[in-house]
Amino acid sequence: MSSRLPGPQRRDSIVQAASGLFAERGYHGVSIDDIAREVDVSPAILYRHFSSKKELYDTVLMALACQRESYVDAVINSGTSFEDVLAGMTRIYINSIAENPDLLRIELQSLLDGNSATREFFENRWKSFADYIEFSLNEMLPYDQENREVTILSASLMFQGILREALVQKFLQPHDRLEDVDLEELSVELVRLFLRGLGINKSRLSRKAVIKE
Amino acid sequence: MSDFDQELDASGLNCPLPILRAKKAIAGMDAGQTLRIIATDPGSVKDFEAFCKQTGNELVSSGEEGGKFTFLIKKAA
Repeated sequence: MSSRLPGPQRRDSIVQAASGLFAERGYHGVSIDDIAREVDVSPAILYRHFSSKKELYDTVLMALACQRESYVDAVINSGTSFEDVLAGMTRIYINSIAENPDLLRIELQSLLDGNSATREFFENRWKSFADYIEFSLNEMLPYDQENREVTILSASLMFQGILREALVQKFLQPHDRLEDVDLEELSVELVRLFLRGLGINKSRLSRKAVIKE
Repeated sequence: MSDFDQELDASGLNCPLPILRAKKAIAGMDAGQTLRIIATDPGSVKDFEAFCKQTGNELVSSGEEGGKFTFLIKKAA
């Protein structure tokens, strides 16, 4: 048995261990016993801090939610052009996953977990991109364009697909194909290709969008 | 009822849209004028605090009304 930790520290260590396990195996693949073993305490002690596995899982999500990215920097520092703000947001999002790849793992696990609250939690994270892209394209595309709504929706899905796939390959694959690719480079290139797909040609995003802090 | 010169309803929009729209609205206003913003994104509270801090505009007030967040921002000189 591990040495006694004070309450709040014990609680934190449980949340951290649970986070790692849920990321690895999904909600249904982890038991309270597994988590207790990971933290080296008896299940009884764990239940003193959390009344159920569900409560612990919700706490893990809340802890992740607190690290929610703010795109204020992207808007203030990148100018207000669609391209520059999108590139800024992408960089911030990629960095958030770089700092905590478990966020991405838990997201992917939750897609099949059957828990609607969790799905909504992650959909809300992507909503920032969806809202921004759909809103901007709605203003940029000609009103008489054919299949306008499908185009806008597809663009939004396409971006999420491109970005999430790049993150999976970068942070979750055992062999990092993108090992030599700089994260800044990656975010700029993803946005550039996406824009080209929409017929928005920008060979050079403004310097402000790619400056490191 | 506070006085404001322009109102922006950003209900249903997630970060960064409320900030972006506020930035554009403020750009078109005169110094000293006030913009009232309504938002539903819980992150908007911190976002507008950061926005005002970084742009030098004054966050006159920040509150909650009927489940929505309201902000009053005064454009700096």
